[in-house]
Amino acid sequence: MADRLTIARPYARAAFEEARADGGLGNWSNALAIAAEVVKDRRVEALLGNPHVTPEELAALVSGIAGAQLGEQGANFVRTLADNHRLGYLPEIATLFNTFKDAAEGVADVTVSSASALDAAQQKKLSAALEQRLRRKVRLHYELDPSLIGGAVLRTGDLVIDGSIRSRLERIAYELTA
Amino acid sequence: MAIKATEISDLIKQRIENFKSVTEARNVGTIVSVTDGITRIHGLADARYGEMLEFPGNTFGLALNLEQDSVGAVVLGEYKHLKEGDTVKTTNRILEVPVGRELLGRVVDSLGVPLDGKGPVKSTQTAPIERVAPGVIYRQSVSQPVQTGYKAVDSMVPIGRGQRELIIGDRQTGKTALAVDTIINQKTSGIKCIYVAIGQKQSTIANVVRKLEEHGALAHTVVVAAAASTPAAMQYIAAYSGVTMGEFFMDNGEDALIIYDDLSKQAVAYRQIALLLRRPPGREAFPGDVFYLHSRLLERSARVNAEYVEMVSKGRVKGKTGSLTGLPIIETQAGDVTAFVPTNVISITDGQIFLETDLFNAGIRPAMNAGISVSRVGGAAQTDIIKKLGGGIRLALAQYRELAAFSQFASDLDEATRRQLERGQRVTEVMKQKQYAPMSVAEMALSIYAVNNGYMDKVELKKVVAFEAALQAFAHSNYRAMLDAINGQPKFSEENQAQLKKCIEDFVATGTY
Repeated sequence: MADRLTIARPYARAAFEEARADGGLGNWSNALAIAAEVVKDRRVEALLGNPHVTPEELAALVSGIAGAQLGEQGANFVRTLADNHRLGYLPEIATLFNTFKDAAEGVADVTVSSASALDAAQQKKLSAALEQRLRRKVRLHYELDPSLIGGAVLRTGDLVIDGSIRSRLERIAYELTA
Repeated sequence: MAIKATEISDLIKQRIENFKSVTEARNVGTIVSVTDGITRIHGLADARYGEMLEFPGNTFGLALNLEQDSVGAVVLGEYKHLKEGDTVKTTNRILEVPVGRELLGRVVDSLGVPLDGKGPVKSTQTAPIERVAPGVIYRQSVSQPVQTGYKAVDSMVPIGRGQRELIIGDRQTGKTALAVDTIINQKTSGIKCIYVAIGQKQSTIANVVRKLEEHGALAHTVVVAAAASTPAAMQYIAAYSGVTMGEFFMDNGEDALIIYDDLSKQAVAYRQIALLLRRPPGREAFPGDVFYLHSRLLERSARVNAEYVEMVSKGRVKGKTGSLTGLPIIETQAGDVTAFVPTNVISITDGQIFLETDLFNAGIRPAMNAGISVSRVGGAAQTDIIKKLGGGIRLALAQYRELAAFSQFASDLDEATRRQLERGQRVTEVMKQKQYAPMSVAEMALSIYAVNNGYMDKVELKKVVAFEAALQAFAHSNYRAMLDAINGQPKFSEENQAQLKKCIEDFVATGTY
């Protein structure tokens, strides 16, 4: 996983800088997402390593399915990837592209796992607190996890803020047995 | 001892009440692979070099490789329960081990966890295992001796408090015996000892511990054991844990002695970790930082001045200097001292004691090669009497070695040469010493004085060892006061010389040898 990201990073950065230069961050993001979906398809995936299929044919295939969404620059990008045999890395490139885009726009995705559903007031309070802590606008994604017993766990990137009852109990258990 | 049920629940209640419940923000990652105790972790963007990582199941690890998208970490201890996808958290802490006087007499592993079944270690303090050595401003010259109790070592390669003296030799040449005897000889000197066993058989470690116990030396000793069966990471950090425990005594204005038995195996454990972390191999497949591995460890052995002790102990201990003497052991392969690790450690230390298989098999024990064994700083710390007498020993042995080689071809030797040869042979005999029989300064002085001044020249070569033993016994029963006086004031004074002379002449007159 880590190695794939390392390979994908220069492509994602190149695409991101190109997109930022001509102001088409949103278009590029959509185009990459579609292209990523295309190469994730099992039928396309099988063709990627096939020696009988030339890079030109692969590039044409991906551009053909993704169609107008890609635009001229997008098509060129796909062709470069095909020439370097890196089309399979499109999902990682799309993810990294979005990370760069969020960082540039000052937005963070935060996943909120809680034992019970949060009401509107709680959500608002949480979002305000997070915006202050992360110094970014936040996009909250909610999920329910009854196994937490109570409280909530917030995740953004590598950072985890764990305020759940479950983790507290685990730590009490550790303190008592250690 | 009966424990009441209420006591336990009270205790638990108290601990729960004292439990601080803070919501913590931590950096997390997921395990990508686990290979022989090395894990690759995706994420952990904020992990720092050498930071402790928390794995599931109360397991901890050490972050050693920080890469763009992953962190390479070694697991300290069991790693069989870890699997791909497990969550790893940062702890914001550097690895720490317990330190303090409570560790004396205990056998612990690399993390300070007791292995001797004597209950938990009741130490209240901990210290990080990696620390920068005291700087030049805080150091003081080596000026006090560490008595090993071996005539050969104390007279020819003296060791001072705060010195690093390498013990090097092939397998089965008495390296560990020399080190263990040095620990046993510290019973009365007040020097606290740390014995770090790295990559040894459990049975060997058990033997050493038993011998220390038998000779009443365990009470002032901490044994840090990382046996051959423990993971490489534990063997790698054992040396740093040991030195941290030793630094506690140095920081409190006391003298300590640490033995690393042995650093070759520690380097091999580190090589294993480095190769599994995919660091590029260099000479003998060791990674590039093997020199730093040992230099940063041995630099922590030092003699520090009173200001340092006062500063580190926050004013509790005033006017006392501290020291940590290092005795690293290196095992060579077939006498090859030009291999990578031996050359490194030779260049780091302040001298070395070479032990040779040939000498050992010839019955010369300790099997020290006097010609190439040196102590670069110990001379300043040697006791006066042994220093004056030891000069004669070195000279006699050097002349003997020179003559011995070519005298084999000469049919008839002149009187002077013959006498030098005979003296050399006798000195070699006198330098022999049994294991677990360390000698005091006065006893050494007596033996060396006797051989230096020709009292043994008329004794048959085979009987020199018996002569020496009888002389010691005679002095112990008839010249107790003289021995005590010399031990109390180890000066090469006229009076002491006269006393030694009188004692030996009295003994020779009895003719009981």
